[in-house]
Amino acid sequence: MLLLAPVAPALASQVLRISAIPDQNPERLNRLYGLLAKELSDQLGVPVKYKPVVDYGAAVTGFRRGDLDLVWFGGLTGVQARLQTPGSKVIAQRDVDAKFRSVFIANQAAGLKPFSAQKDLQQLKGKRFAFGSESSTSGRLMPQYFLAQAGVTPKDFASGRPGFSGSHDATIALVQSGAYQAGALNGQVWDSRLKEGKVDTNKVVLLWRTPPYADYHWIAQGNLDQRFGAGFTGKLQQSLLTMSPSQPRQKTILELFAAGRFIPAKDADYANIEAVGRSLGKIR
Amino acid sequence: MSPAGQLLLPALVLLPLLALLPAAWHGGGLDLIGQFLLAAVQPSTDPALIAASLRGIAITVAVALWSWLFSLLLGVIGGVLSAEVVSRTLWGCGWPALLLRRLLAIPRSLHELLWGLILLQLLGLHPAVAVLAIALPYGALFARVVAEQLDGLPRRNLEALQLAGAPAPAALLMALSPPLWPQLLSYGGYRLECALRSATLLGVFGLGGIGADLRLALQSLQFHEVWTSLWLLAAVMLALELVLARLRQRWLEPNRELLVGFAALLLLLLPASQWLELRWQVLFSPWQWPEVLPLWDPSGWLQDWPQLIGSTLLLTALAALLAVALLPLLLLLLGPGRWPRLLLSACGLLARLLPPPLTALLLLFVLQPGLLPAVLALGLHNAGILGRLGLEGLDALPPQPAQALRLAGGSPRQVLLVAGFNGIGRSYLSFGAYRADVILRESVVVGLVGAGGLGVVLLESLSSFAWGEVLPVLVVYAGLTLVGEQLADLYRRRLLSGPLPREGCQG
Repeated sequence: MLLLAPVAPALASQVLRISAIPDQNPERLNRLYGLLAKELSDQLGVPVKYKPVVDYGAAVTGFRRGDLDLVWFGGLTGVQARLQTPGSKVIAQRDVDAKFRSVFIANQAAGLKPFSAQKDLQQLKGKRFAFGSESSTSGRLMPQYFLAQAGVTPKDFASGRPGFSGSHDATIALVQSGAYQAGALNGQVWDSRLKEGKVDTNKVVLLWRTPPYADYHWIAQGNLDQRFGAGFTGKLQQSLLTMSPSQPRQKTILELFAAGRFIPAKDADYANIEAVGRSLGKIR
Repeated sequence: MSPAGQLLLPALVLLPLLALLPAAWHGGGLDLIGQFLLAAVQPSTDPALIAASLRGIAITVAVALWSWLFSLLLGVIGGVLSAEVVSRTLWGCGWPALLLRRLLAIPRSLHELLWGLILLQLLGLHPAVAVLAIALPYGALFARVVAEQLDGLPRRNLEALQLAGAPAPAALLMALSPPLWPQLLSYGGYRLECALRSATLLGVFGLGGIGADLRLALQSLQFHEVWTSLWLLAAVMLALELVLARLRQRWLEPNRELLVGFAALLLLLLPASQWLELRWQVLFSPWQWPEVLPLWDPSGWLQDWPQLIGSTLLLTALAALLAVALLPLLLLLLGPGRWPRLLLSACGLLARLLPPPLTALLLLFVLQPGLLPAVLALGLHNAGILGRLGLEGLDALPPQPAQALRLAGGSPRQVLLVAGFNGIGRSYLSFGAYRADVILRESVVVGLVGAGGLGVVLLESLSSFAWGEVLPVLVVYAGLTLVGEQLADLYRRRLLSGPLPREGCQG
């Protein structure tokens, strides 16, 4: 606050409100956004407040109403938020987000074997199948899209509809237990759970990895320059892009984000997600 | 049929449920259930997490208290105005009350979470929105209870006062408020616990709270962290129960201490509202629906309604029957002794502590998705809530009939059946009818068990921001609630008001 006073006294009361779609455990989330708020506040010289939002839809709506300034969205929720909020724009993504993938997994007892051709998704017809959350890009939207390309619609699953586990971890657990015979989830979560030894590979098999698509990204409101001073959005973007593992606090932030670093991203990178969202009725 | 018989009849629902069990059982995740239970004795004690949880529970309690206060206010006003006896006394006709009662079914027909999402669109991410989202449906429900209690009171005193020439409002106040008070106190106290549970669901408003931590920990299957939140919540719920039980005994009739207590509560709540940054003026800003989310979409009305409504009603009916059946059945099986009672209380606390989505997830670790886990998740949770009301009802019965039966040589189970079940039958079944209402709404929150129905359509449309599809579903929910209420009224009039063997025992 002291640093700020001589620069822009009139703006001192403005608080940058950041938020994120909920897809991590609370311990991690609280640590991560506590650190990030401090880091951004130090770099930008404005107070930064993290607002926890525990519902994908609420994050989108909070952003549309202008109650949130900078939000970490998934692919689909980001496009939904941007379409509902004129002026807002994509400012960055993680290095892993440019080429993100989903995985299809199955319970060993379901009699499904790993495959490399997309049309083999046909085998999933008639199985009990779980997506993650309804709004998830990697746990629902893109898997449903790749299924549709292979000629499988949600009605083809057992009992005529898929289940929604609510999260990537729940999808693994429910497929591993056998409640659902197969499911789809975020490839990065799958890889890290495998590495942590949290998946029983005697019970779950990886069936197929999808082609890459763009996923998570940061979206900022369009009016930040007016509220915080000319060039603020650019500075904000730079402070995300210049985070590096050589600085301890930034290193922790990047680790908690499971990112090597943040890279620039623009609205057009998500044109594909928008088209898929429209074709599946998730964007109207 | 006697109330005791009506209490035991719902237990028949166990037959179809047990018949479904073998086909649905897969048992593949028993180890996960083991991990969950084991985590109960090893909750995470990470200091940062505990600090966050303590802050979370404080936020949750503050939101619960505020919304509870508003719902009481709304409920008493709405209840008095929608009571037939009041309407007849003041205006000489009953239809204004009936009309208001039906109108109040609309706010009641939507789950708090849906109110939250609607108000969020209208007013934005503010803690005050969370308070209103709970207060609206709760106030409407409380109004129904108050109105029904008022209409159920004997009218002799009222008629006498009127004949003696007392003006109508004064006659109403003097004749009806003393007998209404104990019920108001008991039910009002119980609603505070409900408000606490709802406040834990409403982490969606950017204010966090213990429910937000709980949901995130659950999503990532961090059972140790889940239990840190659950134990804190249990401690608050137990403390609340103890305080309320104390107060119920002390405040059998309104007195000065009650006023002092209320004033103290308000004084406590004011700093809480500062701390939460509750800005009430938000509620008075213009309520404007966003143009980017059209509410009207003809294609949204074209759904397979019979199938959707059918499966939702089936789920609701089975879960409600299960919820009503469990306490009487278990009491009879275990016997009315001290230890079985303690065991049942503990199980009940656990059942209502675990949010239905969590129970549903645990059930899916051993059951295949479908109707059964959905019925069990909703039924068990609500059995925990009804069970508490039932046990409290038994404790509050006058001891004489039970003593007389014991002296006449009745076994403990016979005494329980005749004196106990007949004594609480009426109010327990009425509460059961209210819970059926709640279960209908709660069927939205167990989408993950894949039981189908209106909830699935609703969640899907909400996640697509297709409000043109959301609206028809909300209208159907409101319609079902109205019909359900008519049926409950009818049931109460036909079956519960017949000759009751122990009418005199009603507390």
